[in-house]
Amino acid sequence: MMRDTRIRRLPMALSALVALALAVLPLPAALDAFRPDFLVLVVFYWSIESPRAGGLTLAFVSGLALDMIHGVVLGQHALALTLMAGWATHLRLRLRVFSMLSQCLTIFALLTGYQFVLFWVDGATGNPVTTFGRWLAPVIGAILWPLLAGILSRLHER
Amino acid sequence: MVAFRNTDASGRTTGLLLRCVLYSLLALALIIIDKRYDQLGRIRRVLSIVAYPVQIAVASPFEGWDWFRESVTTRDALRADKTKLEAELRLAQFRLQRYEALEAETARLRGLRDSTVGVTDRFIIGDVMDVDLDAFRERVLVDKGAQDGVFVGQAVLDGGGVFGQVARVGQLTSEVILLSDATHAIPIQINRNGLRTIAVGTGDMGRLKLPYLPTSADVVAGDLLVTSGLGGGFPAGYPVGTVAEVKRDPAQSLAEVDVKPAAALDRSRELMFVWMKPQPASTASSMAPTATPPAATAPPHAEHTASTPASTPASAPASAKAAARAPAAAPKPVKAPTGPAARANAQ
Repeated sequence: MMRDTRIRRLPMALSALVALALAVLPLPAALDAFRPDFLVLVVFYWSIESPRAGGLTLAFVSGLALDMIHGVVLGQHALALTLMAGWATHLRLRLRVFSMLSQCLTIFALLTGYQFVLFWVDGATGNPVTTFGRWLAPVIGAILWPLLAGILSRLHER
Repeated sequence: MVAFRNTDASGRTTGLLLRCVLYSLLALALIIIDKRYDQLGRIRRVLSIVAYPVQIAVASPFEGWDWFRESVTTRDALRADKTKLEAELRLAQFRLQRYEALEAETARLRGLRDSTVGVTDRFIIGDVMDVDLDAFRERVLVDKGAQDGVFVGQAVLDGGGVFGQVARVGQLTSEVILLSDATHAIPIQINRNGLRTIAVGTGDMGRLKLPYLPTSADVVAGDLLVTSGLGGGFPAGYPVGTVAEVKRDPAQSLAEVDVKPAAALDRSRELMFVWMKPQPASTASSMAPTATPPAATAPPHAEHTASTPASTPASAPASAKAAARAPAAAPKPVKAPTGPAARANAQ
């Protein structure tokens, strides 16, 4: 078991770092609103795949990193990501036997929940972002999920 | 397609719930501490050093490409550039000839009035880093931080005019909030007639608006707006933008004024962080008893703008316009400090 978790942590950390870089990669302003939350998807994948290797810790730390690079109130993304990763971990056994479509729909629900927590904290701390664009990210994320999960499981199997 | 491994089938739901609750409480505590008390500045600064390598790694290929493009420029292009720059330099030098004399004169006049509001002291130049911070907020990351003395609320300019202000400072980097951010406001003055108001961002980089001008206000398309220096956040007299369009609907009490920012908010790569000369402590105490509260924050502007309550009684017969302007203009100096400054604190 010990050896097992050791092995799993490297791809976990690597994929999280790459996703973090993708989150700050400069995109043309027109495309920027369509950027999916890569890091959130990666955290969901690892929460479902190997929760014992520290899915929640990964979620919390990734959330703090997102808070830092987005320059919002510290703890906002950490809270949203922890809650949703916990939910994803809770659902993991069901998710594994779901068809791809049901998986995508579940991921969509998780991403929407994530955005909702962000939206709520934004409002509670006094800088609300009310543009409709922020609700686009869950849709794109859910569409990208099969691709991302495929890539990550390939990386994982190696 | 997704082959999940069949491990962890036993599940540890209670442990999961406990850890989830613990982490969430920790995150909530962080949010509250960060929001209510200003204790996290140091932690945040340290954490920003951790984020720095990621930001550098993302930005460097783009900067490398820029460098590559610059190094393969042709000789002709360089010569054309040089001629153009020389012409610009000549023009700038012509304009500068009288600058020293004028500055001395201004300092003398200001000295007479015991005030040095909004005189710039020194500045440093920072480069915008090629990273996207947030799709829905207008911010940029700049490679100067607490290490270089940058502070929250500091004014930031570019070649064209006022760019924004520092919203958050890390050890090595800082975040600058653009004029055009929907939560940003800057106290300004119309250069032609000294009318003061506040320019507010719209979330669109090419447009600001002046939402607090009455329909009767003397503003026309093409008017240059400069910083008024009120509120103490920005140095006075720097260009903010030009009025693009004025819409006056007789049914409304306020005019709709669109402004085109003077700074190249979407293109500038080099920004100037400005330090202002410290204001002598005597200014506030010597002016306060003689001036009304709004004017107390703005000694040098109180008289020549003719739009504060202090000066309207004296110039009452002058024009109905000035009187009409007074109620709208009066609360602004009070409001100005609560605008950008309070927002900067709230970040």
